[in-house]
Amino acid sequence: MSATVLHTEVGVSDEKQAAAKSAGRRFGALVVRLGAIAAFAAIMAYFVIFAPGFTSTFNLINVVEQSAILGVLAYGMTAVIIGGGSDVTEGGIDLSIAANMGLCAAVYATLLSMGYGDFLSVMAAIAVGMAVGALNALAVVGLGILPLLATLAVLNVAAGMELTLTQNTVVGASSPLLGVLVSGSFFGISALAWALIVFSAVMIVVVHGTSFGLRLYAVGGHPEAARAAGISVPFYVSFTYVLSGFCAAVASILTVSRLSASTPGSGELLLSVLAAALLGTVFSRRFVPTMGGTLLSVLFIGLLANGFQLLNVSSYWVNGVQGALILLVVAITSFARGSEGSR
Amino acid sequence: MSVSANDNASKASMRGFLAKYSVLIAFAAIVIFFSVASPTFLTPANLFNVLVNNVVMLAIVALGLTIVISSGGIDLSVGVSVDMASMIFVMLLAAGYSGVVGVAGGLGAALIVGILNAILITRLNISPFLATLGVLFIGQSTQQLATSGGQPIYLTSGYAADQFNAIARTALFGIPTPVIVLIVLAVVVHLLLHRSVFGRYVQAMGAQPGVAWYSGIRVPRELSMVHVLCALLAGVTGILLSATVKSYVPLSGNAFLLDAIGATFIGTTLSRERKPSVIGTLLGVLLLAIVKNGLLLVGWNFYWQQVGIGVLVFLVLAASFGLRRAAH
Amino acid sequence: MQTAKRDIAVSMTGISKRFGPVRALENANLEIARGSILGLVGQNGAGKSTIIKVLAGIIKPDSGSIVVNGETVSTLTPASVEKLGVHFIHQDRLLVPTATVGEAVFLGHEIGLGPFVSRRAMERRAADLLKRFFGMELPAGTLVKDLTTAQQKVVQITRALAQKASVLVLDEPTAALVKREVDSLFDVLRRLRDDGIAVVFISHYMQEIEKLCDRVTVMRNGTDVGTVDPRQTPIDEIIAMMIARDVGEMFPKRSVELGAPVLEVSNLRLGGSFENIGFNVRAGEIVGLTGLLGSGAKEIVQCLFGLKTADGGEVKVEGRELSLSTPVKAVRDGIAMLPEDRRAHGVALGLSVRENISLASLRRYSRTGMVSRGAENQAVDGLIKELSIKTPHRDALVRELSGGNQQKVAIAKWLSCQSRVYVLDEPTVAVDVGAKVEIYNLLNRLAGEGAAILLLSSDLLELVGVCDRVLVVYRGRLAGSFSGPAMNSDALLAASSGARSNADGVAA
Repeated sequence: MSATVLHTEVGVSDEKQAAAKSAGRRFGALVVRLGAIAAFAAIMAYFVIFAPGFTSTFNLINVVEQSAILGVLAYGMTAVIIGGGSDVTEGGIDLSIAANMGLCAAVYATLLSMGYGDFLSVMAAIAVGMAVGALNALAVVGLGILPLLATLAVLNVAAGMELTLTQNTVVGASSPLLGVLVSGSFFGISALAWALIVFSAVMIVVVHGTSFGLRLYAVGGHPEAARAAGISVPFYVSFTYVLSGFCAAVASILTVSRLSASTPGSGELLLSVLAAALLGTVFSRRFVPTMGGTLLSVLFIGLLANGFQLLNVSSYWVNGVQGALILLVVAITSFARGSEGSR
Repeated sequence: MSVSANDNASKASMRGFLAKYSVLIAFAAIVIFFSVASPTFLTPANLFNVLVNNVVMLAIVALGLTIVISSGGIDLSVGVSVDMASMIFVMLLAAGYSGVVGVAGGLGAALIVGILNAILITRLNISPFLATLGVLFIGQSTQQLATSGGQPIYLTSGYAADQFNAIARTALFGIPTPVIVLIVLAVVVHLLLHRSVFGRYVQAMGAQPGVAWYSGIRVPRELSMVHVLCALLAGVTGILLSATVKSYVPLSGNAFLLDAIGATFIGTTLSRERKPSVIGTLLGVLLLAIVKNGLLLVGWNFYWQQVGIGVLVFLVLAASFGLRRAAH
Repeated sequence: MQTAKRDIAVSMTGISKRFGPVRALENANLEIARGSILGLVGQNGAGKSTIIKVLAGIIKPDSGSIVVNGETVSTLTPASVEKLGVHFIHQDRLLVPTATVGEAVFLGHEIGLGPFVSRRAMERRAADLLKRFFGMELPAGTLVKDLTTAQQKVVQITRALAQKASVLVLDEPTAALVKREVDSLFDVLRRLRDDGIAVVFISHYMQEIEKLCDRVTVMRNGTDVGTVDPRQTPIDEIIAMMIARDVGEMFPKRSVELGAPVLEVSNLRLGGSFENIGFNVRAGEIVGLTGLLGSGAKEIVQCLFGLKTADGGEVKVEGRELSLSTPVKAVRDGIAMLPEDRRAHGVALGLSVRENISLASLRRYSRTGMVSRGAENQAVDGLIKELSIKTPHRDALVRELSGGNQQKVAIAKWLSCQSRVYVLDEPTVAVDVGAKVEIYNLLNRLAGEGAAILLLSSDLLELVGVCDRVLVVYRGRLAGSFSGPAMNSDALLAASSGARSNADGVAA
């Protein structure tokens, strides 16, 4: 008797098959990605041709300024999705991020109006944002609650606290920092646009240029593999939620500067933030969320709203188009994956 | 697996007991607290008010979510189903159609939302979360477009409208009509989820979709049914809502989402196997409603109520997941 | 003892570990010497994987001591083990699918300046290592998920090599490799041994052990039963050490009168997998099906249950032609399937024994869509008793049962359907020996009651012991049908690998 169990030897044909399959998969992914990007490009081209003033420098800078708040929030969301894995039901998500921004804005504006200086007020806003993030981290990492549910509950807490603080009113605010953010400009680019540029650069370098970012992707992509490589998965996941809270606080300062006040209703941004982070994956070769991809989709969403405005199309379409785009991208992606015959 | 099975089982059942009774004890404590804190809390008039205004509509939405969560999915678009049913119902009545047409139209609108979810999930293989999120976006846009940015539609007069309003506000044998609607629906959903073949398939899909598929269950068909049922139940709430307030207010359905999810998960902590159940969900809704009402009576404003409910849901989730984690 | 003179890298003594009622390790010992390759063999469930997981710090032992490099280690964690220079190539490919090869090789030990990484340097170093050790070249920036199984295994080994391992443990590393890759892997391992590294090589494949290892430790029922030199010990002797009970006892005998053909397959084909497959299974017959990974044997079974749709051919059950496009139809047409991945497809761990058993046959116990609990309980209790499923009560969660009892629940599900055809896909993987015998008895009884049984297995002993006839698939075609004295594991192995003479030609 020579062997008790068959040693599995892959034949030539199988290796070729596997190679062909993987080539086919890569091709399919490429088609999906290029298709999605082409769709984005077509929409942009349409605006360039038909929307008056779309390409003017003034208009484009305006779009970048408008996108700053969404962008900063979307980076936080992207980090959470990277670290938690992109399985939406089980994986990382922070539904509380927009409500958290509203709460931070309320704290910031209220403290300013009570006469505390910029420094204290900014610090308080950042502390509140990171505390909410830490609460999410505790719920998700410490207690093992599904991120979807944990952050949904925290959303309510944060939104309720904002309302309690402001009594659902507009809290006006002004300060030297806000003055700079509103009217400051360097090299012809406004401070708000600079904020987005600098924040984007930092996020892209940290997530895509450091070993920290590399490990973060490993934690989200295959937690067991990360653990086997000696990486502390709980630390990285917790970090993303706290970072997300920090992003909410930064965005809150930008939003207060843009409106010269904290206003209710910031929670409505959540859908756009989710859309930006999810749409961003099509810009990535690996179909993972990336900071660069998120930036592109944030700008795309900004240009979409702007183009509609210039074409006199009702802004009520924007949400629906975003929803349809998410469904389209996800359906095509799942179709491309499904055609591998994994099922 | 790490301890001997016997020991493990007894510990798990003890924790199960603890989880079960901790919520019930909390429930009792809350009722007692509010009865003492507010003299009006335990009066029949107040309880009637809680039941009709805070329980019925939320409970019907939560029943639908209970089915979806049992199947291992989620429906973020229940608010859209509520709104669409409400919108079409009110529009039809306002245009002078009879109540039957209005109800049929409203439920039809909810049905379309459910079918859309079902197609996205079972045909295009989109995860329930993303599919229903997309539908939520589209539903909001649709409402804004249909109401020029969110203008409410009021039912000023008209026979059908008044009749419905009358039904919504009257009682049959001393029980308010909406409560009767809830009881009937709860019994039906209970039988469906816990006694029928369909319910067993739903549980199997929720526990392990692969096993359901390998057992010859028509997973796509059953899953479609799950989402259609959820949307229809939300549609019933939409019609009850409009009939009660004699109007359609755009985007008002979203308010149900968190509370309904919260109620369903409070319910899971009450069940022995920590699975969603109709009775658990109803208790969850009752708990939320009582806390809201109690907070109102002791003088907390609407904003603090939201904080309170958020904290409560958070604590329940923490207990539920924390105990589950400890049991493994 | 001569081992005393050896340079010992790792010494594990008296390791015991229980999982609930299951005794995984009982006073097991393992000694790994530097500059030598140690084989570790044993049947599934003998405790090989468990003792390796103890060393890897994944499982905490109930008792026993571990000495690494002369120092007693009290608690092991995956991170601390790696610091000691002990590296593992696990059976499951622990690689991030969306990482590039360079990222995967250096994850946790990135190359760069301070907090910044240099992806280019990592890709280049990884490419160098792959070329040097395996002669393998991959396009720059290839993603892990686009690699073949074998390439991923190679990347995993490269990862350990890049970190200068002093002890390297490989758990069935050749399972998915082609011969050329196996040969170059062996060359690498020999070179590492000559450099003084301690290598542990776990394999089911005796020829590999004989070819590569300096010593081999045999495990059985959670303990080590001996360590021998594979070059001086006949393989039969090693196998005898692995299997305590003799084969006759393990595989109960039976004699059944074969009836009319129940399952008739003719001309079945699936593009890229198999073609021209035809065979019959008669009432009361157990037919084995085997083939190497990628031979198409697995796909044949999947087509019979509608998990894949055949491109052509005919499948008849009791003379009736079936259209097998989904499992829904297969179940309705009386085909039962015992899937390989029990936890994903066989039983729902979070449901009760009762709910699992009645899942496929609920319609039998229901009227107008409502389940009749009485009828269901009666049927379920009957099956629990009949199969002697060890469960506290019918409403216990399947999660609480042992692997063998879970498998019995999966079989009971189909018994309650009264299926005519049973298709079993590796039914005894990760099932302990006692439960295996019970499953074999059960198969015999099913056959005795006139069912037709098709058993897909890669355990040749099992096939020879249980089946009336074994069909071998090679490169998508039936390469032979064996019965009687011609049905022995040598013949099956030869046929599966396309006969010995051109076995080497398979790899290229």
